[in-house]
Amino acid sequence: MTFRLTCPVCGKRDVYEFTFGGQERGPRPEQDGLSAEEHFRWTQFRLIPNEPQEEWWYHGQGCGVWFRTTRDPGTNREVR
Amino acid sequence: MSRLRPGETCRVDFSRPLEFSFLGREMTGYAGDTVASALYGAGVRIFGRSLKYHRPRGLYSMEGESANTFMSIDGVPNECAETTELRAGMAIEPQNVRGDPGRDRFGFLDAFDRLMPAGFYYHLFHRPYALWPLFQSGLRRMAGTGVLDPGAEYRNGVRTERYLNADVAVIGGGPAGMAAALAAGESGLRVCLFERRGRLGGQMTWRVRDFEGEPLYRRAGALAARVRAAENVNVFTRSPVTGVWGENLVTGFAVGTEDDPFRECHWECRATTVVVAAGCMDRPLVFNHNDRPGVMQVGTAWRLARTYGVRPGKSVAFSVADDLGLEAAIDLDDMGVRIRFIADARESGQQGPEVFDALCDRAIPFFPGCAVSRAVGRKRVRGCVLRSLKGGRSRRFRCDLLVANAGMQPRIGILATAKARLAYCTHTHGYQPTELPPGVFVAGSMTGLRDPRSIEASGRVAGYGVAEWCGGRLKSVAGARAPAREAEALPGPGAGCGIIHAPAIGRGAKAFVDLDEDGTYKNVKESIARGLDVPELAKRFAGFGLGPGQYRVAGQNLAMIMADLRGDPVETAHPTTVRPPLGAPSLATLAGPGHDVHKRTPLHSELAGRGAVFRRAGAWQRARHFGDDPSCRDEIRNVRTNVGVLDSSPLGKFRIHGPDALNALQRVYMSDMSKARPGRCKYSAMCNDMGQLMDDGVVVAEGPGDYYFTTSSARAGDTVEWFRFHTRHDDWDYNLVNLTDVLGSLNIAGPNARRVLERLTRDNVSNQAFPYLACRRITVGDGVEARCLRLGFVGELSFELHAPASYVPYLWDLVMEAGADFGIRPFGLEAQNCLRAEKGHVIIGMESEQRVTLTDIGMGWMWDREDTVSKKVGAPALRACDRQPGRLNLVGLRVEEGAKAPRDGTLVVDGDKIVGYVCTTRSSDTLGWQYGLALVHREHAFPGRRIHLCHEEAPGQRVTSTAFVMSPHFYDPRGERLRS
Amino acid sequence: MSWLRPRRLWRPAPLERHYEFVIIGGGIHGLATAYYLARTHGIESVAVLESHYIGFGGSGRNTAIVRANQRTVENVRLYEEGLKLWPVLTDELDFNLMFFNCGTLNLGHSEAAMNGIRMLASTHNLVGVKSEVLDPQQCAEVIPGLDLSDRPAFPIHGGLYHPPGGIVRHDAVVWGLAKGASARGVHIHQGCEVQGIDTSDGRVTGVRTSLGSIGCDRLGIMAGGYGSAVAAMLGIELPIHPLTIQAMVTHPFKPFLHTAFSSGAYHVYANQTLKGEIATGAHMDPQVNYTNDATAYYLKHQAEALVELMPALRGVRFMRIWSGLADMTPDMAPIMEGELGYEGLYLDAGWGYFGFKSGPVAGKYMAQYMASGERPEILAPFRLGRFLENRYSGETAAVMKYGHWD
Repeated sequence: MTFRLTCPVCGKRDVYEFTFGGQERGPRPEQDGLSAEEHFRWTQFRLIPNEPQEEWWYHGQGCGVWFRTTRDPGTNREVR
Repeated sequence: MSRLRPGETCRVDFSRPLEFSFLGREMTGYAGDTVASALYGAGVRIFGRSLKYHRPRGLYSMEGESANTFMSIDGVPNECAETTELRAGMAIEPQNVRGDPGRDRFGFLDAFDRLMPAGFYYHLFHRPYALWPLFQSGLRRMAGTGVLDPGAEYRNGVRTERYLNADVAVIGGGPAGMAAALAAGESGLRVCLFERRGRLGGQMTWRVRDFEGEPLYRRAGALAARVRAAENVNVFTRSPVTGVWGENLVTGFAVGTEDDPFRECHWECRATTVVVAAGCMDRPLVFNHNDRPGVMQVGTAWRLARTYGVRPGKSVAFSVADDLGLEAAIDLDDMGVRIRFIADARESGQQGPEVFDALCDRAIPFFPGCAVSRAVGRKRVRGCVLRSLKGGRSRRFRCDLLVANAGMQPRIGILATAKARLAYCTHTHGYQPTELPPGVFVAGSMTGLRDPRSIEASGRVAGYGVAEWCGGRLKSVAGARAPAREAEALPGPGAGCGIIHAPAIGRGAKAFVDLDEDGTYKNVKESIARGLDVPELAKRFAGFGLGPGQYRVAGQNLAMIMADLRGDPVETAHPTTVRPPLGAPSLATLAGPGHDVHKRTPLHSELAGRGAVFRRAGAWQRARHFGDDPSCRDEIRNVRTNVGVLDSSPLGKFRIHGPDALNALQRVYMSDMSKARPGRCKYSAMCNDMGQLMDDGVVVAEGPGDYYFTTSSARAGDTVEWFRFHTRHDDWDYNLVNLTDVLGSLNIAGPNARRVLERLTRDNVSNQAFPYLACRRITVGDGVEARCLRLGFVGELSFELHAPASYVPYLWDLVMEAGADFGIRPFGLEAQNCLRAEKGHVIIGMESEQRVTLTDIGMGWMWDREDTVSKKVGAPALRACDRQPGRLNLVGLRVEEGAKAPRDGTLVVDGDKIVGYVCTTRSSDTLGWQYGLALVHREHAFPGRRIHLCHEEAPGQRVTSTAFVMSPHFYDPRGERLRS
Repeated sequence: MSWLRPRRLWRPAPLERHYEFVIIGGGIHGLATAYYLARTHGIESVAVLESHYIGFGGSGRNTAIVRANQRTVENVRLYEEGLKLWPVLTDELDFNLMFFNCGTLNLGHSEAAMNGIRMLASTHNLVGVKSEVLDPQQCAEVIPGLDLSDRPAFPIHGGLYHPPGGIVRHDAVVWGLAKGASARGVHIHQGCEVQGIDTSDGRVTGVRTSLGSIGCDRLGIMAGGYGSAVAAMLGIELPIHPLTIQAMVTHPFKPFLHTAFSSGAYHVYANQTLKGEIATGAHMDPQVNYTNDATAYYLKHQAEALVELMPALRGVRFMRIWSGLADMTPDMAPIMEGELGYEGLYLDAGWGYFGFKSGPVAGKYMAQYMASGERPEILAPFRLGRFLENRYSGETAAVMKYGHWD
């Protein structure tokens, strides 16, 4: 189902204009004392329950901004 | 065969005969005919044979609701005769039949249905297993109907695309759709109205019943004229909708007429709101032999007569279940078609006494509470058996046409693709939306409305509803409420007809629930007996609704029958999922004109003029080699011994500037980027979070907080995204500009490179003034300023010129002219590939893959290990895997002479164990031996190690060769040539 | 004459309060595991819980291609055994799974792709699986109608022909396994949605479902694309992204395509089914989701790709598009793991594109794993822990940008 996302600059646009950037996980962890396991968990392991999640999208075929939005993976719709 | 003259409802122009052929026989139709109406008018009754039992099949519907009338037209298989407009000269052939469909050599299969219960093949043919392939090829031969010629290209006609944007898309150009479009248009909204038929008006276009003083078709005609004249309403006819997708993206295709510049046009309409007014279709009556040629829908017989002027039959029996059926019978009688009788499955509930008066006036026998239980006749209907639905006696009639339905059902396809929630309505006995997606509205007869005023009013209500939704310019709120009040005062949805239990169904005969897949009532029972007792499972097990007609014929009946057989209330019955595309678009139309979207470099025509062989590489078309030697020996030798020039324009070129530019560089590059200096190229690379190599290039400082840098061609398009992603939490202030398309570049490489460059510029390009890895701005020719980078990817003295793309062809001419005395010649990607491999320079994706990190491929030297503050992307992974055993490492190979030469992709083995593979290998004229770059397990990755290369072209057919591990820097290992 | 006497393929069973083994997911993996638990390990108390009807998920939504031409030996061995199981299971289950051993052809559209293909062929032949490198002419002999000219954006350079591959009727596998499992006493509960997992002292003790609570000693999560959502109930993070993958069929016509083919450059795979439709697909939308949404975008994209590869397909029409979930891991290899922090908990997930072809063989070894508690040797490469050590399986060479969605 084609859906649309709300770019903070351009407004609602077709999802195929965007690149998906994954769940919001907070800033990169501090590297002093970061164990290998912690790093690889941070980069690859995710909890994906079937409920809305905050995530990153890039408007590559538009204004070129990375932005956060909340989307429901059960419906593919943005949640406001 | 003579045609009826139905008057103003007729769409056929009898003054314009069109010749066509069917099975090689010449026939005549008329402008305005569909293929089906022309064939029927010419006397054709058997249109093809069914899939499984090869039963004769005739004209059942007029909208492509089954595959009965799929034909091969001008060699294109599976064309729907019902919806394809007749054109002069068409060559039409029936399908799934040898010769005349009246005599088919597989017709005997019909007698063996008892041996073929639902899903019989799952229980047969597999023992002994050795025989299964035989049975299977037999089954496969019987599969499918149309014949596609794999050698044909079917490039018939122009295909175009159109992308629309509307406030409201109205789907269906019947009275409700038209009323909705007008109401929305009057409110100031931009409206697109899509109608799959050639004319607006829906079923009103063939109804002549007098209503409020004028026939319905005139009422519809007047409405259509207003719609055509409305300023904001764009009307698209011959435009079936294929689906409503997320957030009201409506798609479909338009079929061109002779006046259109296209044969078919794919369109997509992004609409804020959608009004679905798709109307109704007949719900098939399930009775014995209900598939015989001569059994048809009410609308089919009616439209044959009224729209196409074709006499549907001489003696017609009607078994219907709603008022529309009665109206049709009376109208046909008025046109001089003899009506044998009318059976109405309803005992009572017919609207208005005037119907009974009309039947009495015309002396048509009328049987309420009765339905046809059997069609008589094998190749066409010769009679039928009528029964009371309460049981009791049956009576046999002679007729040559049997018009049968179980009332009407809404066309739910579009609503279903839009993901409306649908539930069975026990009043209308159809599926009705209980929850509509945002911005989707429904109107018209699909909601169960029957009264023409109610239907139009529902359209107006929807039209003002979307106006309100869109915040359109409503004239007044009261004005918008008026239609709603008006609609409430009008007759509501009519009562539909529930399941019709035709007595003795399936006994000694086949009663079809699905025509395309030959799915019978008995098959439904068998599915349930197997435990596949919900419609979705029966669909998969016995094929209901899987044929070209999809859900249309089988959908609602299957759900109702299954609920009935299970003993569940009918409202619990869920139909099978309706899947797009609804109107079966052709691949040619979807594919469209097929534009090539690959970019050409500024030098494309110059390269083509020199015999370049192009390949698509990423976003670009690039010269792979010149002339007809793919091994590029001359191109390579020329660079090594003389001078060559490469069009490197697709190279990624960027400027980053701002207070945090350095921070951003430090984040993504593995080296300490604070060491980037003006006038000097700093080489570095980017990794992902797993430490895998993503990109490499050089960075040059151009001023405080201002840098110019290059990336590999493949990564140019992703670089801005990458920088911004990895700094997205940091709120840093920097600007990043992609200059890749703005600047072209060419690389002059070889021992004579400097001598060529000296002829182009007055700037000092001597080794002292312009050493290896320097970057200068030089002025070339008549004052073109270019960045000049002294790099050495191919392992020779080389200068890369970056200049505005529009100047690059001029630079090219200068270079070729200046180099002519030396015998300069262009080289392409393959020569570059060999040259850099001899030098041991890595190409990302060739010598790197998912299992290796930057350090694994010998580039760990550039990583600034001490830096933990910048949080370099990939640094923790490199740290974790630094000394991990068992990883793949990049090594150089010298292949022993005499053995079979390895090729890119050859395996490295230790006994039977694979321990790596060769990434790039060539026989080098420069080195005089075969070298290779390989990824091998760390245990084997030390100089002098003897390893085995394995060519296993078939099981057990192994050829091995031997190679020795060495440093990958085969050519000029100390870099003297680069610095010369 | 058993085909003339319709009997239930599987029996409805009463929902018991406790089973020794509970499997979440009534698809091919779950049913196969249950089948082998009963058949090979003699376990009598097994339940399969399916939230919709059996085969609702990926098992009923794939394009049914089976093959053993993967990139690494570890994977090839597993899938090869899987291929050999189709005839065996057909006989064991007394249910025709319609295995059509038509072979598969992977097209290469560049010199680099052909390098990869040569490496694949050598790898397969080294372990005794037949594969051969074909030139363009030979490709066209296998797949009539391929455009060998320079007209396509990515001209055909050759292909990898893999004779042992083929097509299996996917629904039949579901029903056949349900039949076999049910006959051996496995309880199959449809319409039974798992809503929570109970644990106590680091052990799995049962599941809460829409039909009530069920106790168990060992629990297998074999929910295909929904596996990560089920694992999330226990707070277990996984390197898995559920993504929708779309497929479609054309109108049926007489078979002319007797080999399944695929193309990486065009992102297409296609085969002609026993009914004569061309089943084709491969597009994957990048955002994690649990929907079964198909897109107009892809219908068009697929048509563009197909007609360029095979111009004759301009003359056919698409009839139906649908989608299913693929549970993608970063290295395109599955995760089969019994060490998840809870005793008695097992996971079979991350199959991505390959869940159908691996179903029975995965079930066979997961049953062994669950019954014995010991990881079978053949499953060693599919540990979850490899992702914490940056040791990818090598099943794909592609380097990811950010995560497995790109």
